[in-house]
Amino acid sequence: MRRGLLYALLGLASLITVVPLLYMLSLSLQTEAETLSADAVLVPASPQWGNYAELFRRAPFGDFIVNSLVVAGAITLAHLVFDPLVGYVFAKFRFPLRNTLFVALLATLMVPFFVRMIPLYVLMANVGWLNTYQGLITPFLMDAFGIFLMRQFIQPIPDDLISAARIDGASELRIYRSVILPQTRPALAVLGLFTFVFQWNEFLWPLVATSTPEMRTIPVGLTLFNQEYFTLWHLTAAGSVILFVPTAVLFVLTQRYFVRGIALTGLK
Amino acid sequence: MRRLLRPGTLQGRYARTAYLFLLPAILFFAAFFYLPIGNVVATGFRTGPMADQWTGLGNYTQALADPAVRHSFLVTAGFSVIVVIGSIVLGLALALAIDQPLKGRVVFRVVLLVPYLTSVAIVGLLWRNILDPELGVLNRVLLALGLPAQQWLNTAPLLTIAAVTLWQSVGYTMVLFLAGLQGIPETYHEAAKIDGADAWRRFWRITLPLLAPTTLFVSVMAVISGLQAFGQAYIITGGGPGDATDLSVFHIFNVAFRTRDFGYSSAQSVLLLIVIVAFTLVQLRAGRRSEVTY
Repeated sequence: MRRGLLYALLGLASLITVVPLLYMLSLSLQTEAETLSADAVLVPASPQWGNYAELFRRAPFGDFIVNSLVVAGAITLAHLVFDPLVGYVFAKFRFPLRNTLFVALLATLMVPFFVRMIPLYVLMANVGWLNTYQGLITPFLMDAFGIFLMRQFIQPIPDDLISAARIDGASELRIYRSVILPQTRPALAVLGLFTFVFQWNEFLWPLVATSTPEMRTIPVGLTLFNQEYFTLWHLTAAGSVILFVPTAVLFVLTQRYFVRGIALTGLK
Repeated sequence: MRRLLRPGTLQGRYARTAYLFLLPAILFFAAFFYLPIGNVVATGFRTGPMADQWTGLGNYTQALADPAVRHSFLVTAGFSVIVVIGSIVLGLALALAIDQPLKGRVVFRVVLLVPYLTSVAIVGLLWRNILDPELGVLNRVLLALGLPAQQWLNTAPLLTIAAVTLWQSVGYTMVLFLAGLQGIPETYHEAAKIDGADAWRRFWRITLPLLAPTTLFVSVMAVISGLQAFGQAYIITGGGPGDATDLSVFHIFNVAFRTRDFGYSSAQSVLLLIVIVAFTLVQLRAGRRSEVTY
């Protein structure tokens, strides 16, 4: 009885989650007439795979995909290079102003993106980086969250390992690369997945910092496509599916890492 | 050994290494966080189409008296309250359910977390299509079933976009609560059971107080993300109908990039930042005081 109630609750919540997403897939395969028909079409009579090709003809969707991959990929790579390095320094080194710098770093966690949006726009306009990859990528090269995550992960690594490597004459960079980095792999996986997914989905900055369709990322390109062709819901849905599938596949394959990552951020 | 650990030379060398490793980060955070924050504050004191005329607190007094700014702040506050309460109630309910030894709980967890990892563009466009009063599929289904059509985006727009936001984020709060629940030692519940406490009593006396740090974290995160919501207004409602869903960041975006008033929009950004920081600090403080240990 109680068990049945729990299943009902979770089943209902799952249905509310899944049905709209399935409808999105169905919509992407309908004819334009079906998307507007008075009796709602939930399963298209014959799946219109041509909608996807039509989308690429109406908008530079190939560019959107390349832009999203380049921007999210470059930012993820930068995080994987810098976040563990900075986290390592704060975890294992003693140096003047260490605490001050660490507090200054953590304070940036309280600064939401909209605060940086206007000055970054002016800065990018001044250096001519609006509507370029550099302009889309550089504001997100590192963040305090990723650095903090890596610091927490590196802290428990025994100092003896580092001392031993120093006595063996390893250079500091070598110690970092050969002693520290290999031990952080699970954390790097979490960091890389989160960074990629969030950048893939990022909306506000690409909206502000791009001005031509050819430079837009998928979320922005798709939204502006929808504003322009607001009756062509089957094509908007096809674009949504393209935007959705990579993160959904990545997530289902690695959901343990995601769940662990979220739990890590919730526990201090 | 003793010679190797001698202070001065070695510590100096470690400090140099530390700073060398930190250099890219120091440059990055200076150029892309602290410089922009300084600039947004400085621009907030200026006015004019190039934001180059000093106006002191002019933008701030104007913003505090501007009915549109006040309205958009109230809209944002209302939106945030709904999102916070919904995140806690729904997230906790789902976490309590999924914490039971049920078959298929991993599947439920994966399914409920999927929307959190999708773009606000997908979520916004999808729900706008579903809820559209004229062409929306929901109304076509309701009518086919002989039920009255809905007009939620017109009759309760703020509640509706808050619900859509919860649809996207509740899996995330569920996972946070789940981690919190799994941190509560089984022995407390067993001891209470032996003492004859029923499930309801155990929930109020054990689970909820020990979950306080998680609840606090969830509410801080929900307030912060609620106060800076943008896509919901930009994509689903366009701030409307009228200005019913003119969320603050959407309002700031329009003042900055449609009206092109960088001074006024910067001052409004600073005001919203102050609210967010104040809220975060107060919540963290209150949280520290109310923490319990058994």
